[in-house]
Amino acid sequence: MKALFLTAVLAALLLISGQTISAEKSAREIVEQAELNAYYSGDDGRSAARMIITDNQGRQQMRQFTILRKDQQDGGVQDMMIFFSRPADVRDTVFRVVKQVNDDDDRWLYLPDLDLVKRISAGDKRTSFVGSHFFYEDVSGRNTELDNYELISESEDNYVLKGTPKHPDNVEFSYYEVVIDKEHMLPVESTFYNDNEEAYRKMEVLKVETVQGYPTVTHSRMSDLTNGGQTEMQFRFMKYNIGLPDSIFSERSLRNPPAEWLQLRD
Amino acid sequence: MIYRAFFLFTVLFTLAQAASAQDSWDDEQWDSDWGTEQDQSINVYGFVEAAIGGRFESSPYHKRLSIAEPRLQLGFDERWQDITWTAKADGWYDGFDKTWHGQIRELNAQFTVFDNTDIKVGRQVLTWGTGDYLFLNDLFPKDWQSFFVGRDQEYLKAPSDALRVTSYFDWINIDLVWTPEFDHDNYIRGERISYFNPLSGQLTGDDPSIQFVEPTRDEFALRLFRNIDGVEYALYGYDGFTKSPEAVTDNFQPTFGRLTVVGASVRMTLGPGLVNTEVANYNRHDAADHWRALIGYEQELWTRFTGGFQAYIEKGDTQTRTVLTTRLTWRDERDDLNLSLFAFVSPNQNDGYLRPTFDYRIDDHWSFSGGFNLFFRETPNTFFGQFTENNNAYLRMRYAF
Repeated sequence: MKALFLTAVLAALLLISGQTISAEKSAREIVEQAELNAYYSGDDGRSAARMIITDNQGRQQMRQFTILRKDQQDGGVQDMMIFFSRPADVRDTVFRVVKQVNDDDDRWLYLPDLDLVKRISAGDKRTSFVGSHFFYEDVSGRNTELDNYELISESEDNYVLKGTPKHPDNVEFSYYEVVIDKEHMLPVESTFYNDNEEAYRKMEVLKVETVQGYPTVTHSRMSDLTNGGQTEMQFRFMKYNIGLPDSIFSERSLRNPPAEWLQLRD
Repeated sequence: MIYRAFFLFTVLFTLAQAASAQDSWDDEQWDSDWGTEQDQSINVYGFVEAAIGGRFESSPYHKRLSIAEPRLQLGFDERWQDITWTAKADGWYDGFDKTWHGQIRELNAQFTVFDNTDIKVGRQVLTWGTGDYLFLNDLFPKDWQSFFVGRDQEYLKAPSDALRVTSYFDWINIDLVWTPEFDHDNYIRGERISYFNPLSGQLTGDDPSIQFVEPTRDEFALRLFRNIDGVEYALYGYDGFTKSPEAVTDNFQPTFGRLTVVGASVRMTLGPGLVNTEVANYNRHDAADHWRALIGYEQELWTRFTGGFQAYIEKGDTQTRTVLTTRLTWRDERDDLNLSLFAFVSPNQNDGYLRPTFDYRIDDHWSFSGGFNLFFRETPNTFFGQFTENNNAYLRMRYAF
């Protein structure tokens, strides 16, 4: 009798834990698919980007740059170069990143006035990307291994997931909720919550276009819900699978930008 | 005089605003056909800046004013026939010597041959090496006068008239710079910043009787470099002259001694930070050789606060000089405000130099910068010690377009 009871409990436990595992796995699968769609479309890509940064007093600043990207592996190591054209004080500045998955990224900055290739120590990825409300991590993608995910709700159009950091001391948020659109499998809204469970930061996708068969976010907005202020980001001239050679991602391109790969045309 | 500088700034600023008025970068354009301005025929950019600064104490050698200048920089670049043409020039009125100055900072053409070789010919700014404000293998000209009176750090590098050829191969990359006419540093020679003259054994202000003799020969700089899995290796060579007059002619006139330098560097990530190390052997043809070595480490200590540290040694047969540096940088959440403290301290010669600065960016056009140049010493004949009479503070206001 006792043995039977134990077996029943064990079976129930296995069933419950089995369900938990499969729920976590499917939440993770959703997030990983969304990550691939948001940051790894095609083998490589080029895009022009523009940001309007509005502070809490309504003052505006702009940034304009062209991004070249190449994936060494889907969901893995990624080479990226960002060529700034506006505003005047960062004109011709080039930022190079080798995004690592299980290690800190390698980063270089080329300052044309000094002809200086400055190597930058891996910093906190949750700090402002060129003075905007977006963080480095929002632009290059947050490693999905850093968080646990659970599916909160599901509708006909989207999934709502909750991401909780595995190492809460390393980040400023206590958790975030992300809405993933089922049609494109892209994150279309992320809301970050602080320790008091108050939403303080929100990303919204305003426009998605399909480029060469890849659903692509072309307009998004990051809002500071506590202090006010927001940044809108737009992409244009997107092109995938352009055959960027590995040699483009080097010190050479910092000093001598590869003009033929930076020509913007639809 | 300050009134006149202010007036000139206003004139330059008005010109700059007129230039940037052609810019189509505004709200209405947000959804329009952006990104195509690179096709526009003329692309001029630059800034107008006003700078003011003064010494803390009256110096027996100079007036209190250390810098007072309105400045206009205009830049232009254009890609034509696969050649990138760049021109950049500065014009300013110097309230210190009460004269107008002009400088072409860049006037060059850059193009690619044989797919793997980049050539840049003409006036250009050149930098290599791994040190932070410490230069071992970078023997391209520097402007120490600008650095010590608080001009933008861009002016620490003086331009060279040179031919630079960079070839990229699978196993190594080669950089060769030929400067047909020797370029010395804009070194400290008394007219703006006083220094210790070892010949007379005392601090010296402007002394027109001292004639510097310049060599007429050319100079060469070579770099072999490669990045293997994020570790950057480089070997360097230089054949030319000391960049400031450290030798004397037979007539006891200060001159630039023949110099050959061979060195190497490695830069890589280490743990959460970056480590760089560099060595160089200075072969002085007319004086004793010496070695220079550097090790540095930098990391983000906490969010938006970065700390860097360098240990440097210059070792000859008779004299050794050690220098420790630290750089602390903090920036605010939106990257508008940057506070930095750079400190040089020589433990064995008991002198040093503190360089606190701030940069505040108001918007895409306006920014403010300011800081201090503070030297301290035990004796007046050491590298930084000779400059303590020149301790100064400065403020700069810039409109970029």
